[in-house]
Amino acid sequence: MISPFQSLRPRSANRRIVLALTGAGLFLASLDAYVVVTAILPMLTTVRIPVNHLERATPIITGFLLGYLAAMPIAGGLSDRFGRLRVFIGCLLLFAAGSLLTATAGSLSQLVTGRLLQGAGGGALVPIVLALAADLYPAGGRSPVLGTVSALQEIGSVLGPLWGGLIAASLGWTWIFWINLPFAALLIWAIWPEARVAPEPRPVVRVDWLGAALAAAGLALLTLALYAADPEKSPLGPNFLWQAPLALVFFFLFAWHERRARQPMLDVRQFRDSSFSGGAITNALAGAGLMVALVYIPVLAESPIVFSMNPREAALLLFRLMLGIPIGALLGGFLAGRLRSYRLVAAAGMLIAAVGFVLLSGWSERSLQPHLLGLPLRLADAELLLTGLGLGLEIAPVSAAVLDAVGETQRGAGAAVLIVMRLLGMLVGFSLLAGYGLYQFHQATAHLLPPIPTLLPDFAVRYATYVLHLRQALIAEYHLIFVSTAIALAIGGLIAAVTLRPLPRTRWR
Amino acid sequence: MPGFSAACSVALIVAALAGCDSAPPAAAPLLQQTSERMARLHGFHFRMQITGETGSNEPVQAAAGEVHPPDLRATVDLRQGGFLYEVEVIFSGSAIYLKSITGGWQRLSASQVAQFFDPRSLFDPQLGLFKAMEQTKSPSLGQKESVDGHDTYPVSGAVAAARMHQLLSLIRDHGAYRATYWIESPANTLWRARLSGNLFDATRPAAVTFDFSNHDQPISVTPPPLG
Repeated sequence: MISPFQSLRPRSANRRIVLALTGAGLFLASLDAYVVVTAILPMLTTVRIPVNHLERATPIITGFLLGYLAAMPIAGGLSDRFGRLRVFIGCLLLFAAGSLLTATAGSLSQLVTGRLLQGAGGGALVPIVLALAADLYPAGGRSPVLGTVSALQEIGSVLGPLWGGLIAASLGWTWIFWINLPFAALLIWAIWPEARVAPEPRPVVRVDWLGAALAAAGLALLTLALYAADPEKSPLGPNFLWQAPLALVFFFLFAWHERRARQPMLDVRQFRDSSFSGGAITNALAGAGLMVALVYIPVLAESPIVFSMNPREAALLLFRLMLGIPIGALLGGFLAGRLRSYRLVAAAGMLIAAVGFVLLSGWSERSLQPHLLGLPLRLADAELLLTGLGLGLEIAPVSAAVLDAVGETQRGAGAAVLIVMRLLGMLVGFSLLAGYGLYQFHQATAHLLPPIPTLLPDFAVRYATYVLHLRQALIAEYHLIFVSTAIALAIGGLIAAVTLRPLPRTRWR
Repeated sequence: MPGFSAACSVALIVAALAGCDSAPPAAAPLLQQTSERMARLHGFHFRMQITGETGSNEPVQAAAGEVHPPDLRATVDLRQGGFLYEVEVIFSGSAIYLKSITGGWQRLSASQVAQFFDPRSLFDPQLGLFKAMEQTKSPSLGQKESVDGHDTYPVSGAVAAARMHQLLSLIRDHGAYRATYWIESPANTLWRARLSGNLFDATRPAAVTFDFSNHDQPISVTPPPLG
């Protein structure tokens, strides 16, 4: 997918600066990947979405993932064809335009469009910056650089919810997106001289426009098919029956086209390898788990009838889980090497995360109150950290197993598959569980009528009883979502345990 | 080619004449005629949006729905504790139904409705907005404006606060407020109406904007299934 520029002579004076600038752009965009989760309730108020119709907020999250998924696979090829820095600037402009639309959104459609563009621009930066790093550093010494670039992206996405919650609670949520504009402008201004003197684009590289279009059409239809616009009636989209099969047709056409393509965007034949496809599926299920935690922990925390936290408090709560992820990731890499087993560590990570979700599903409205033994620690904090650790543990062994399966020359494509599968898991998993959870909530409250205000003395009692029932139904919805996620993660653990191959012998080259 | 240029000049003059319409209508008769036309409609869609300072006692933020006077069906956005909630209401015959934030439809008693505002007064033939149009004092015609793609004349004037309180009981009944109506002429179609002033709070301004569409579309409002 990504072929390095042979002609690019590394100018050692500039390459660090170029990589630092593009890395900063990548960091800026990755901060915004999950930034909305803690700010979503204030955002809903701005675009006038009532909290008893949360399903209308789903596209704010799925729109971003869709943009990211549609743009990311083709970005590497585009940068091969037109030049890394030029495409980088174009994508940063797209990201900034998306930020502007989001910040000024007065309607849901503008907000979703803004997030879609942010996702497309931000997602495209990942393969471009990775490919640029590979161009700038020789084959022997590029691994730490690629690691740093990937880490920037991961750290940005871990910090995003905290960043979003802090800004939403202090300056107001629109500043999350306004801040991007001066930074993007500054980066473009700084990179511009480099982009002008960069090597000539290579017109010989063919961009797989058809593949990208087929994949984007399939993804868009899938997103629509799974979008439960009326969860009172159905946990799926109103047009699921024709949209889902049509999405499958597009995916089939995409796979068929990619098999025939001379320079495929995605090598679908690799999925025949069980270690590859098992790793990819595990990665998707882990992505779904992460997305559920990212969305539902803050929404539950900020819910006016459960914990009533502000965005800052909700962000700090979620941060306990997010903190576990990088710790788990480092530990997972170390353990996989030490135990010489991908499957053991990956399966353990998925199962620990599944146990974490089961524990989280047991939360009640009192879960965040008592402090253990007078310490400023709660059982809930430990449960969050454990879940994050589990989600982190699987990253290194699953990624390594997938990359081992593709061979030396296909590493870039393998890494892209990992990102695509993770996001696909996020998109599908979140859409399904959001629709299913809301559907169950409506079923549970179908006969729960709120009392009408009267001057009769029993109104207060009836109202309190109503709120109690409502809270129970809401907690039951979260219980269901978290337990379903736990089951999905456990299945992922099983798949990893069965499919992942052991580590290859270390070869010194 | 004198013939050609003459033809061109004539064409230009005709085009220029066609470009500047017939003389703008007079404000008062325009309000009068539009008021009568709107009151005669068999059905229309409306969107109501409240902006500015609405005070703590006023939970309604917006409403939208279809009307076949005096029946109507609408969704209403309410703000409580910093959050927005959506409920649905149906006024059919003498019965009033509510679908609140959870559960199905329930029928309300008159005393229960009295706790909220009764939106039927908005489009009541004697008390409602369309009747208030022709009672607007010293109306003046503004420059043509486009509202949702329709060429309209804005007509502004003063309305007594007590009169506005009649059509929307949430509005304070002291002093006078400003009303603007965006009217397409000569069809006498009202596309937008706005009431502004310190509507809900004695010191802070607010506005209520109504947008109308689907004029005279036949609309029937039937009682919902209960439960």
